[in-house]
Amino acid sequence: MQRRTVIKNIVIMAGGIALLPSCSGDRKKASILLKNLNTSAEQEALLAEIAETILPETGGSPGAKSMNLHLFTMKMVDDCHTAEEQKLFTKGLNKIDQIAEDKYGVSFAKCTPEQRKELLVQVAEDKSAPKEAATFLKITKQRVIQGFTNSKYVMTDLKQYEMVPGRYNGYFPVEKN
Amino acid sequence: MPQLNTDSIKERTFDAIVIGSGISGGWSAKELTEQGIKTLLLERGRDVKHIKDYPTTNKLPYEFEHRGEVPLEIREKAPIVSRCYAFREDTMHFFLKDKEHEYIQEKPFDWIRGYQVGGKSLIWARQTQRWSDLDFEGPKRDGFVVDWPIRYADIAPWYSHVEKFAGICGNKDGLKELPDGEFLPSYPLNAVEDHFRQQVSKKYKGRYVIRARAAHISKPEPIHLEQGRGQCQNRTLCQRGCPFGGYFSSNASTIPWAMKTGNLTLRPFSVVHSIIYDEQKGRATGVRVIDTNTKEEIEYFAKVIFVNASAINTNLILLNSTSRRFPNGLGNDCSLLGKYVAFHHYGGRVSAKYEGELDKFRTDGRNPAGCYIPRFRNVYKQETNFLRGYAAGFSASRGFYSDTAPIGEQLKENLINRKLSGWNIGSHMMGETIPKKSNYVKLDPDKKDEWGVPLLRVNVDFDDNDEKMLQDYFDQFSEMYAEAGFTDIKTSRTNNPPGLDIHEMGGVRMGHDPKTSLLNKWNQLHACKNVFVTDGACMTSTSTQNPSLTYMAFSARSANYAIDQMKKGNL
Ligand SMILES: Cc1cc2nc3c(=O)[nH]c(=O)nc-3n(C[C@H](O)[C@H](O)[C@H](O)COP(=O)(O)OP(=O)(O)OC[C@H]3O[C@@H](n4cnc5c(N)ncnc54)[C@H](O)[C@@H]3O)c2cc1C
Ligand code: SF4
Repeated sequence: MQRRTVIKNIVIMAGGIALLPSCSGDRKKASILLKNLNTSAEQEALLAEIAETILPETGGSPGAKSMNLHLFTMKMVDDCHTAEEQKLFTKGLNKIDQIAEDKYGVSFAKCTPEQRKELLVQVAEDKSAPKEAATFLKITKQRVIQGFTNSKYVMTDLKQYEMVPGRYNGYFPVEKN
Repeated sequence: MPQLNTDSIKERTFDAIVIGSGISGGWSAKELTEQGIKTLLLERGRDVKHIKDYPTTNKLPYEFEHRGEVPLEIREKAPIVSRCYAFREDTMHFFLKDKEHEYIQEKPFDWIRGYQVGGKSLIWARQTQRWSDLDFEGPKRDGFVVDWPIRYADIAPWYSHVEKFAGICGNKDGLKELPDGEFLPSYPLNAVEDHFRQQVSKKYKGRYVIRARAAHISKPEPIHLEQGRGQCQNRTLCQRGCPFGGYFSSNASTIPWAMKTGNLTLRPFSVVHSIIYDEQKGRATGVRVIDTNTKEEIEYFAKVIFVNASAINTNLILLNSTSRRFPNGLGNDCSLLGKYVAFHHYGGRVSAKYEGELDKFRTDGRNPAGCYIPRFRNVYKQETNFLRGYAAGFSASRGFYSDTAPIGEQLKENLINRKLSGWNIGSHMMGETIPKKSNYVKLDPDKKDEWGVPLLRVNVDFDDNDEKMLQDYFDQFSEMYAEAGFTDIKTSRTNNPPGLDIHEMGGVRMGHDPKTSLLNKWNQLHACKNVFVTDGACMTSTSTQNPSLTYMAFSARSANYAIDQMKKGNL
């Protein structure tokens, strides 16, 4: 038997699917291949922190960052959103850092977890929040949730999805908790 | 040289040619080859081998790059097919993208197609109900179009024949308006569906909520095992192709069966351009094919030709088959070819909620079939301000949900600990439309596609009868829901153009009289008897049943008739 050659860094796993890495080798660019978005490494890092704030790592379960849900979000925005939404997404992403500077005097990444959460809640709920920031957050939250609920962790490890039931019962008693 | 030529002609000569390998063509080919008829099955798309060519069938949701969503670029380039509910990331390779075969919409018409071996049999929803005499007698009783040249008794044995082989689950309901078939065990109604059934039967005479009849092997018989097919495992991922062969598709069933006889030659990548008519012989002698890879034109010859390209493409082929004898399309002496195209009216839905005692139940596993409400309007006599009526699909379901308002730990906890939702009720209408001369398809005089076939112009629309029927469906279902104690009852128009029902029919209708119809009671062109049309194009009227089971029965019936006539030397 021939030993299989291990090819490193060929794909990046984002919540269970493989994404092509960007081939530019440019450290200033995003780590995955994007067709429409022009996301920098710095923006990618910011998005990771925002995603992690939306769905943080907790006791026994992974958070958005380690599940690469920020990369999944970028992929989905790149492939499934209109040019208009893509523009608002990028503008809104930058805006989050700006809001952090205005509010706390530091970038989003340097904020405490409490400050980060407070900021995002405000953008989500305050009607006077800048439109691009609100749109950005709406898209990101939706995609992070989608990536999480459709992940191997949730579907397979937590058994929320069954591929081959092999049965149907229309009178299944609801479990009492 | 001449010798070479005859050899080549011999190689291109068969007993029968079947155009199209979808639901109807698969059946024609199976019946013909099984009885020793050397058959050429021509398919414009690529080959799709059962299981081997189902690339997504065993993928988990997180193994799809876009988690099932179709990327925007594809949707923008193919807006028509993107409107089909079954067009998803996991199934999109089995659907034709708009640009791959264009047509001209004189009025909006969503033409949904599957160009590959197996056609749309891979992606259909598998609902299968028989027609009854109440359907076949409709046009005569109500005075529209022309009388069907057949009745239930003519087709009933063929329904049985195809049901046994395809594997149809269902319950023997004993309804005159929806004859029972050769059923495998049916999937039960769930608690709320059952409740609705009881309420409806208590409060309305002649209205029934029944277990759907569907092409699923709920319990295999030897004939299914012999096809290499097994029991449906309730995945409801059918449109990806089923690794168990649990639902009927040409790929899992009729085509491999025909192949095993040794009498089938399957030729994918073959667009049939037209049928060749021999003026001297007074019959069709073969077909002209364009090889989609080489663009080469090749002729094939046979004694009989089955046109099973799916309703609208069958119209296209016949319209494009012109000769001195038939300048307006093959068999078109009555000038009605391409006219009286009709469809099913899927214009409305009614949703609601249920709250009450049955909240103590939920469902477990998945029901691949669902429930069905047969037509209850104007069944025995005219009783409304519109002609005919509608059937409906119906379902009650319960899922899980999470409150996604928070951000942070609370959000995550909500996503992990989902809550059981209440019961959601849904139904969609499937109305009979009245075929009209003004609903037609025809060839564009100038524009051609890349295979040299004229582009089709489609002009098909709803009418006033459809509008009244929609209103009645809204009224009746809202009332039935209220009677059953459902709340939050909402009606909604789908506002979809015709075509998205994917039950397009007609244009080559059957009838007694060659002056007013194209096909006789055996689905032969009146004026060119060795050409048979047994797909949706043959439909004189539409009734409300999902149509494919009827196409299967027509195909099997006509193939056996053709074999008989060939043996007698009449064809
Ligand atoms: C999402 C969806 C759900 C559906 N649900 C149901 C349902 O529940 N019940 C039901 O009864 N029906 C349903 N249908 C409709 C059903 O799929 C069709 O009625 C059925 O497939 C028609 O069979 P056919 O053989 O006429 O056409 P098809 O199955 O479409 O096959 C026609 C074949 O002919 C080929 N072809 C076309 N033109 C040419 C040419 N010029 N040369 C060579 N080959 C050609 C095509 O490539 C295709 O493979 C559904 C369809 C869809 C898409
Ligand atoms: S529901 Fe049945 S037929 Fe459909 S994919 Fe699942 S197992 Fe196969």
